[in-house]
Amino acid sequence: MTEITVYTARRIHTMNPSLPQATAVAVRDGMILEVGTLETLQPWLDAHPHRIDDRFAGKILLPGFIDPHLHPTLAAILLPCHFITAMEWKLPDRTAAPVRGHNAYLDRLKEIEEALTDPAEPLVTWGYHKIWHGTVTREILNGISRDRPVVAWQRSFHEIVANDAAIDWMGLDRDELARHPQIDPDSGRFYETGLSVAFAGMQDYLLSPERFRHGLQLTKQAVHFGGHTTIGDMAVPLMDLEREWPALLDVIEREDTPFRVQMVPRGVSRGGGLGREAENLAEVQALAGRSSHRLQFHKGVKLFTDGGFYAELMQLLPPGFIDGHEGEWLMPPEVFEGLARTYWNAGYRIHVHCTGDLGVELALDVLEKLQFERPRFNHRFTIEHFGVSTPEQVRRVADLGALVSANIYYVHELGEAYWQHSIGHERASQMARLGSLARHDVTFALHSDFTMAPALPLNSAWVAVNRTGESGAVLGPEERIDVERAMRAITIDAAYILGMEHEIGSIRGGKKADFTVLEADPFETPVEALKDIPIWGTVFEGRPAPL
Amino acid sequence: MPGAIPVTVVGGYLGAGKTTLINHLLNGGHGRRLAVLVNDFGEINIDARLIARHDGATIALSNGCVCCSIAGDLGAALKQVAAGRPAPDHIVVEASGVADPARTANYARGWPEFRPQGIVVLADAETVRERAGDKFVGGTVRRQIAAAELIVLNKTDLADAGQLSATAEWLAALSPAASIVPALHGQLDWAQLLGPQRDAADPAPQDDSDGDHLALHATLSWTGDVPLDRRRFADLLTELGPTLLRCKGWLRLLDMPTQSTAVQAAGQRLDLSSGPTAGGGPANCLVFVLRRDGIAPEDLRRRLDGLAD
Repeated sequence: MTEITVYTARRIHTMNPSLPQATAVAVRDGMILEVGTLETLQPWLDAHPHRIDDRFAGKILLPGFIDPHLHPTLAAILLPCHFITAMEWKLPDRTAAPVRGHNAYLDRLKEIEEALTDPAEPLVTWGYHKIWHGTVTREILNGISRDRPVVAWQRSFHEIVANDAAIDWMGLDRDELARHPQIDPDSGRFYETGLSVAFAGMQDYLLSPERFRHGLQLTKQAVHFGGHTTIGDMAVPLMDLEREWPALLDVIEREDTPFRVQMVPRGVSRGGGLGREAENLAEVQALAGRSSHRLQFHKGVKLFTDGGFYAELMQLLPPGFIDGHEGEWLMPPEVFEGLARTYWNAGYRIHVHCTGDLGVELALDVLEKLQFERPRFNHRFTIEHFGVSTPEQVRRVADLGALVSANIYYVHELGEAYWQHSIGHERASQMARLGSLARHDVTFALHSDFTMAPALPLNSAWVAVNRTGESGAVLGPEERIDVERAMRAITIDAAYILGMEHEIGSIRGGKKADFTVLEADPFETPVEALKDIPIWGTVFEGRPAPL
Repeated sequence: MPGAIPVTVVGGYLGAGKTTLINHLLNGGHGRRLAVLVNDFGEINIDARLIARHDGATIALSNGCVCCSIAGDLGAALKQVAAGRPAPDHIVVEASGVADPARTANYARGWPEFRPQGIVVLADAETVRERAGDKFVGGTVRRQIAAAELIVLNKTDLADAGQLSATAEWLAALSPAASIVPALHGQLDWAQLLGPQRDAADPAPQDDSDGDHLALHATLSWTGDVPLDRRRFADLLTELGPTLLRCKGWLRLLDMPTQSTAVQAAGQRLDLSSGPTAGGGPANCLVFVLRRDGIAPEDLRRRLDGLAD
């Protein structure tokens, strides 16, 4: 039998309310045997060979962090790009300092351009946004380089700006571009459907197998860097499973990967509609056979209501957007209902992408119908993202037994921008209303939807506790939550959202030996500094993995 | 753009009849090599005897047509069918039930291989107005109709004459520039469906903003069951002169009694386009928008009734 390892620590926050704090934890074969003190662990130690490992003696242990909604494959496409962003992005291989203002943006771009050694290498940068960086045009990018393709990819993904060399590199005919209503060849702007023209010209480069694998390696580092030991890939596949799966197996299913991924399939193949629910269910069921140690399929499924939050395509209840534009539905409500019913009756945990309050309303209306038709307890129906909602919807969420997995980062990055430019102060300051959820005792998790937010659980917790906007102002103080609740939302409550609370999310005998090791105690750190707590690394299934 | 392939987008909310119309197109005798891009093969009902080849995302038919699944990437699907040999004469794209068809049509621009030919939106005569008031999809349905260049008022057998004319009037207000034709079971004249929808040299009249004209102008909707004489009808419109802002709908004409003819008049211009085979509902259904200083709606109604004598 394998030797027992006992890790001692300055403090262990177990996130198990029955024994909240401890100083030692005994681990064997990747499993926690018991947590407590060296004294209380003694019966195990008397009975079996063991060793005491005190490398964490001055550190704080928490259950391994869990992000239940992250997109490794999307991150793999984006991480190889150069980040120039209005907010700070801490990544394992670099920290992108916040860049705000037009000149600062161009200075940074120039700096990156000059550092590239291969004159033919395209410069694709991500993070551009007009609100923070002013208007960037083809001519301005020509000023960065006449010879090198330079592409500024907008933060919401819905727009790019290209210089002349990039337009040539994409193989596009300028006369034809001029005819397209969503391409402006003068300014070099490609947006909405025009973006697909640019994407067609760039995809051989962006999606090449080498680049994708390299991107997955970076993603793997980024997930470890945030202190995660479990993540949920909340929409499998990104585009084409047969192309993505071999790369995932090759990069993630390896001994050196210190985390597992719950793969949550899309509940509908693209285009699949009404009357094809059984077929979609069968496809999702068939994926279970692919489960491996680190890439696991459970009984969860992802569905969608309204459009993207960064693209301002969420569906809103009246009075809608200030400029009067409308959001979009990602599938007809009837199709959503039919699919939800099928998965509900098959006993699935249903995760629903909802960004606006009308999207939330649809999900709750359907859930209420399903509860009436065929009541289920412990169903874990989860509202994902939870951008704009109403207080009354929170009460319905509680009444219907639903859960929430929130992208709290919206408040920090978009709170002030949406206040000024999109939906006004009242609704913008109450985005992701976690305080209301806590008051109604709704279980909720925090997620990054990486790359919609940094994959840093302590950063998410920091936003949830402080609700600090980009300027430093507090947005919606009544919707703040306490540190205890925030730490639950990145550990045990996140495990609950993924239906894995019996094996991960807290430190107790019988669970996986997954820990996140911190240099300071989040419960003793001033709340403004939560995000800055240094992470030593993690322990995954008993094996230490320093950063 | 010589050699560019015309692209027609067929939109409309879930249940409006897009799939039925596309089934007709694939099985039908229009004599063209169509490439039809659909969201979902599942509902497409192709006569098995017609299927020449079926590989993954494409079904090739013995009549020269192909049907191709969009599978989430319209740009790629368009490229793929355009590269087929022989190239298709025409591409029809089925927009998803929640898509803004104008946005879908934009995909056909920007590539030299394609030429936008028209946006056809189906509206379910029985349910479209109710859907347009739905709390979840009302905005989507209204946007689809506003984007249309040709509105196919489908399932006319499920609504009575009063409902049809009221719905036609409502559609005309929402989509002032679009032509409206009635249809039963998605049956439509091929030439009308696949032809160019909006004459770029003669853009839609912009005499009023959406909806406002109901207050600023008088409207009349008129239905009838007796076929009309083409010239007498045209003369009446000419006589109304500039006080007639717009007239649209459909008629049955004495010289083509088995077909409906789409009527589209704006200012001094009258279009009578070769119609679909007669659908259900009334033979004649017209909506007029009139200047308040011109003929009174009730007088015009009497003049129209008189045409039928």
